[in-house]
Amino acid sequence: MDVEEATVKLISAEGDASPVPLAVAKMSELVKSMMDEDAEEEDIKEIPLPNVKSQVLHKVIEFCEHHLQEPMNEIEKPLKSNAMSDVVQKWYAEFVDIEQVLLFELILAANYMDIKPLLDLTCATVASMIKGKTPEDIRTTFNITNDFSPEEEAQVREENKWCEEA
Amino acid sequence: MASGGQRIIPLEEGWNDEIKAKAIDKLEDLLNGGMKTGTSNMFGPREYVTIYTTCYDMCTQRSPYNWSRELYQRHGETIENYLTTHVLPALRDRTGQGGTILLRELQLRWTNHQIMNKWLKKFFTYLDRYYVKHHSLPTLSQAGLRCFRTNIYDEMKRDTTQAILGLIDEERNSQIIDKSLIKNIVELYENMGMGSLDAYNADLEEPLLNSTREYYAKKREDWINDSTPDYLIKAEEALEAERSRVADYLNSSSESKILKVVEEEILEKVETILLEKETSGCRALLQNDKSEDLQRMFRLFSRLENGLVPIATILQNFVSSMGDDIINRRKARLESEKDRNDDPKFVKSLIELHEKYLGVVKKDFSGHSLFQKALKDAFVEIVNKNVGQYTNAELMSTFCDRILKSGGEKLSEGEVEESLDRIVQLFSYLTDKDLFAEIYRNQLAKRLLNQRSTSDDAEKLMIAKLKMQCGTQFTSKMEGMLADLAVGSEQRTEFEQRMRQVDTKLDFSVQVLTTGFWPTYKSPEVSLTPEMSKCMDVFKEWHDKKHQKRKLTWMFSQGNATVRGVFGKKSYDMQVSTLQAIALDAMNGGETLTFEELAKRLNLEESILKPLMHSLSCGKYKVIAKTPASNKINTTDKFTANAKFSSNMRKIRIPMASLDSTLNTKRVEEDRTIAIEAAIVRIMKARKTLQHQQLLSEVLNQLAFFNPNPRVVKKRIEALIDREYLERSADNNHVYNYLA
Repeated sequence: MDVEEATVKLISAEGDASPVPLAVAKMSELVKSMMDEDAEEEDIKEIPLPNVKSQVLHKVIEFCEHHLQEPMNEIEKPLKSNAMSDVVQKWYAEFVDIEQVLLFELILAANYMDIKPLLDLTCATVASMIKGKTPEDIRTTFNITNDFSPEEEAQVREENKWCEEA
Repeated sequence: MASGGQRIIPLEEGWNDEIKAKAIDKLEDLLNGGMKTGTSNMFGPREYVTIYTTCYDMCTQRSPYNWSRELYQRHGETIENYLTTHVLPALRDRTGQGGTILLRELQLRWTNHQIMNKWLKKFFTYLDRYYVKHHSLPTLSQAGLRCFRTNIYDEMKRDTTQAILGLIDEERNSQIIDKSLIKNIVELYENMGMGSLDAYNADLEEPLLNSTREYYAKKREDWINDSTPDYLIKAEEALEAERSRVADYLNSSSESKILKVVEEEILEKVETILLEKETSGCRALLQNDKSEDLQRMFRLFSRLENGLVPIATILQNFVSSMGDDIINRRKARLESEKDRNDDPKFVKSLIELHEKYLGVVKKDFSGHSLFQKALKDAFVEIVNKNVGQYTNAELMSTFCDRILKSGGEKLSEGEVEESLDRIVQLFSYLTDKDLFAEIYRNQLAKRLLNQRSTSDDAEKLMIAKLKMQCGTQFTSKMEGMLADLAVGSEQRTEFEQRMRQVDTKLDFSVQVLTTGFWPTYKSPEVSLTPEMSKCMDVFKEWHDKKHQKRKLTWMFSQGNATVRGVFGKKSYDMQVSTLQAIALDAMNGGETLTFEELAKRLNLEESILKPLMHSLSCGKYKVIAKTPASNKINTTDKFTANAKFSSNMRKIRIPMASLDSTLNTKRVEEDRTIAIEAAIVRIMKARKTLQHQQLLSEVLNQLAFFNPNPRVVKKRIEALIDREYLERSADNNHVYNYLA
């Protein structure tokens, strides 16, 4: 019985099915938690992922497939450079060399599907874009208008207190 | 952020329409309905993902619509609610209907709880990833487990523990119980410690230890009237049963605790009673060679701290009393027989006793050091109990003599070695090892000089064994003796060459002995025959040339000769000592001589001439006739060659009583004096200043070959003070200083 050869169909928000090898799909803890049990795996053919769009899902699958071939290096924190090519292998650096919108959607998908290396990579990429910049530079980079009222700004600070402590 | 395109889910809508309706209600229905095993298909991927996504969305919405806190709270409430409304009443229902029924219900409910907990954890898992971590809360699983602990376990544990203890007692009384049920419940107890065994220890183990103690206290009373072996068989079975009970369904950390309780109850509390039972206690088992029972006794009591000490004491007393029996038998024999330095029966009995109980120690008591010591202590006591005129040291040495000399015990090579081995073991218990050495050396000298030693190898073997026991110093003289003989045989061939050039009728050879190695002998100056003197002069000249710095002294008393005597028509070869040969020579020709005349002619004192003439005229072969005929030599007797002598043998050996007593106690005393003084000086040289008591105990420690009397040591200290090796300290009379 060759379990590694088994495939499962991941269904995107649009309803498109992407068949992937089980080992690839299991990079997602969410998928894995469905399989983990003594469940008869062959019973599970389709896994709906209503929060992930097709375009993003394809990118996720690409990442997972490559990660099985060449696992990504642990990302050193704090980041040692603004260039992702200094932080991870070439393939991964190129993988996140994408439009901001897609990058953010990847972050959400990684979080939703619980794929730690992908979450690490995408978050590190955003961090590399922030690293060493002033709030104004950052606003420019991400095209943000400062629309915070002082109360809102305080609340944001409060919500993110943990990351300053860390 | 990017989920901005989606609709915000209000709390109650998300909870009631999605989570409660699709997940919780269904889950509870399934649990209450009693689902089949293989529960992983309770929710298909589509259902599961839908619920997960709802939870995910509700937890990732921007404040104030982030419902993480509310969901976490409701997760706990859901579990608590289910436990209190469904599980607890069900368990209460089952209470009082018998232990197994209650435990089966608990087992079912516990399994269900684990399923519920698992699924809820999966649905709400996003909370575990961030919310729980950031707020340092118990994880979802922990929270679920705690819920079970507070609402079910704490409520039920008294009843369930009683149920378990009841089943265990049933099993102890050989009833069949559902072991896997208990095993599952024990797992529950283990889980309730939340990562430690506290709950298990306090709620189950502790009561179990108490009930175990009670149970075996009762058993002890039941069993104690049995014989000791029967009791111990039951005890061993009980211990084994408890051990495998732990392995079957309890936590392995309980094993040592439970066994300890059982050991205390059924072994420790009755050890003395068991060991001292008149007809079946330890002594009786030893008496009757009950090897298997002794082994079991050893096994069981070795489990207790100091449990073996009383057994070892009994062994020691028992062996001592067996030894006393042997000594008393010897005493009884001495009342009817003459005391001699040879009592093989006695020595053999000691060897057999030792051999037997050495075996018992090795086999039944696993060679445990306590028992080795017990045997040793017993034998030190036995072996040093001297009765009669001859010390055990002498009896043992003489026993060796019997083994090693020709015409003694007839033993094969292997038997000789074995016997020597055993006698050396006995020897090791002797306090007066130096006394043994002195006697042994005398007997060895006699064997060697009279060529009565059966085997050179056996002699060497024995010396090697003594050396192993006591060190080189102890055997150096004996080894010197053997070396003298070895050198002697080389020199003899060389000297024979020289003798060929000498015109003599004598077949003459000399054995040179080194002074100091050998015992000191009386050496009477005797008038030799001219032929003898001539040969001796040749040897002296030859020897002086070879070894200019050595002084030769002749020991006539140790020499041998073969003399041919013609009586009537028959001639005999008489094997005699040199002195006897000279006397025979004097009587040659049929002359009649008085005692006085003979003494004068031979230049011998009365004390030597008397035994000498006794051997020739009163022994088995009366080659000399004396008047008046009697068995005693008087200074008024007259002697003449016995012309009528005849014997069936052509070769006859005419023995003569030894001129030297085998034992020179004076010499032993002198050696001891020297050894004590040497030890004192050695110790004081190292320590410079010492108190009397300390010095005394160190001296006693150092002297391995005998046990000096403290009074004697004190005398030696005083002697050393007189000779200014030591002085008394000016401040304290009991302190000595070393004077360099």
